[in-house]
Amino acid sequence: MTGRFEQVEHTADLALRVFAESLDELFATAASAMFSQLADLTRVVATSQVQVVLEAPGAESLLVDWLNELLYLHETRGEVYTEFTFDELSRRRLRATVCGGKAAQTYTIIKAATYHDLSIREAHDGLVATIVFDV
Amino acid sequence: MVNKKDMQRVEEFLWEIPKSFRSDMRVPARIYADDALLEAALQDRSVEQLINTACLPGVVKYVLAMPDIHQGYGPPIGGVAAMGVKDGVISPGAVGYDINCGVRLLRSNLEAAQIKPLIDELMDTLYNTVPSGVGRGGDVHLSGRDMDKVLEEGVPWLVSRGYGRTEDVTYCEERGALAGARASAVSSKAKKRGSDQLGTLGAGNHFVEVGEVVEVFDENAAQQFGVFVGQAVVWIHSGSRGLGHQVCTDYVGALQRAVSKYGIRLADRELVCAPVNSPEGQEYMAAMACAANYAWANRQLLMHRAREVLEQVLAPRFGNVGLRLVYDIAHNIAKTEEFTIDGSRVKLVVHRKGATRSFGPGNRALPADYIEVGQPVLVPGDMGTASYLLAGTTGAAEKSFSSTCHGAGRVMSRGAATRKMHGREVQQQLQAQGIAVRGPWKGLAEEAPHAYKDIDRVVNVVHKAGLARKVARMVPLGVMKG
Repeated sequence: MTGRFEQVEHTADLALRVFAESLDELFATAASAMFSQLADLTRVVATSQVQVVLEAPGAESLLVDWLNELLYLHETRGEVYTEFTFDELSRRRLRATVCGGKAAQTYTIIKAATYHDLSIREAHDGLVATIVFDV
Repeated sequence: MVNKKDMQRVEEFLWEIPKSFRSDMRVPARIYADDALLEAALQDRSVEQLINTACLPGVVKYVLAMPDIHQGYGPPIGGVAAMGVKDGVISPGAVGYDINCGVRLLRSNLEAAQIKPLIDELMDTLYNTVPSGVGRGGDVHLSGRDMDKVLEEGVPWLVSRGYGRTEDVTYCEERGALAGARASAVSSKAKKRGSDQLGTLGAGNHFVEVGEVVEVFDENAAQQFGVFVGQAVVWIHSGSRGLGHQVCTDYVGALQRAVSKYGIRLADRELVCAPVNSPEGQEYMAAMACAANYAWANRQLLMHRAREVLEQVLAPRFGNVGLRLVYDIAHNIAKTEEFTIDGSRVKLVVHRKGATRSFGPGNRALPADYIEVGQPVLVPGDMGTASYLLAGTTGAAEKSFSSTCHGAGRVMSRGAATRKMHGREVQQQLQAQGIAVRGPWKGLAEEAPHAYKDIDRVVNVVHKAGLARKVARMVPLGVMKG
């Protein structure tokens, strides 16, 4: 995977900028980036598998819904997710299998991915997304 | 980008950006600040966010920012916006994800000097007993029926089950249960997230603090509130946990469709909203009230545990600890309240995001023994400086829709704070000041005092501006962070 991310300074919250070559990679990298802020992912054994199906009016809304669904699963199942396989991913619909397990150490609580400053735009070598999380 | 030259100084601590500044502003934007706090506010996007809030349909008179203003998402933290009930909107983003994040202050019969020698034991016991931090569930697991009871009946239901005293209801804003709560408006996802989190502190800037009253500014008010110099007190800061976060997530998502339906143009998608009188708006208000009630119940249960710990540690040595609730306030909420606008009494929906209600003397919504002096206003500072108890003013009604600041406000990102000083060093520095701190290193680093504005400066602004008046200043003896 060639996707990468960086933190953007924000006074009170967490802002991430995600770079990827494709929409699949963007969604996977955004999820990985979010979980890397939440927990130590180095020794997670993928013992759990969950199906995620979502629909949204557009790619940006879909991205926020995706991340918030993962946060919901994280908080209710006590798991972090490290593998993301998309059976279907368009700008309005997503069907994915996510795999993960318990993390040895969790760092913080993320309340939600927000719509603030949310954007997915095309760059010269792929896609760039910015997402602000409420922590 | 907003500059100071775009603002007019209305009063010594009040600035205004006229609505002519931007074509989509419906009302002016006002900021309560001294020169230094205003300069700080202009360093991030908080003022721009305030201006965006001034564009919401049905907004009345002006939007406001308190001196602890800082950048958020949607409105700034420290923002206040009042909407007409008939033609205004309700916005989940203008309430926040942590619905009814708030704080309560407890007074005791004890002197701080009595408990100082025991502060390490006290903080260790609190840290080991009060559920806090990431992934830590509470001791009270709610069935589906119990969850609906908490959501609709809040603190009174919890007290009826033995988690507190009747008087705890009296001294809680809205008596611990906001009217209009309907459990069916809350998603099953939100209820699932909250099912094992009642009575948990959470993380981030949430805390339990044992403190000392070091100065009283208003003897009469202090007496009415039951506080005195040298007294040991306890602060509890927490909110609606995952349930509230999910309610906000659910409705921020759902209302993205409503704005198209009602032809509302947004300067920021996080300001998504619906008319107060629409089905969508009413549904959110019913869900928000549920989350608010969950938060009050959460702080009630946290207080119940704190009482048990203080009794366990201190009563054998000193007798009756007498830990009683002074008041509990919400600082992320929307309320329907009455104000005089152009000579007429009108109902408004007041959004306070990082702002505190400040009802003055004579308001019948207050407990009977506070009506003469006004509502207690609780303003916690950072963990190394001070916190304040203030009293509401009648003047705040006209100036700020009875609103005032909520805390110190951040000046530094969490990343910058973490890079500046390790949590261990923060703890050591505070220990050297005589403050016993318990919490995870990352959290302590992010919440270090240098990450926050000067609380004394913030409170002096609201005091001199007449939004609330100082009653007492308190300093921390021990702090636990989640």
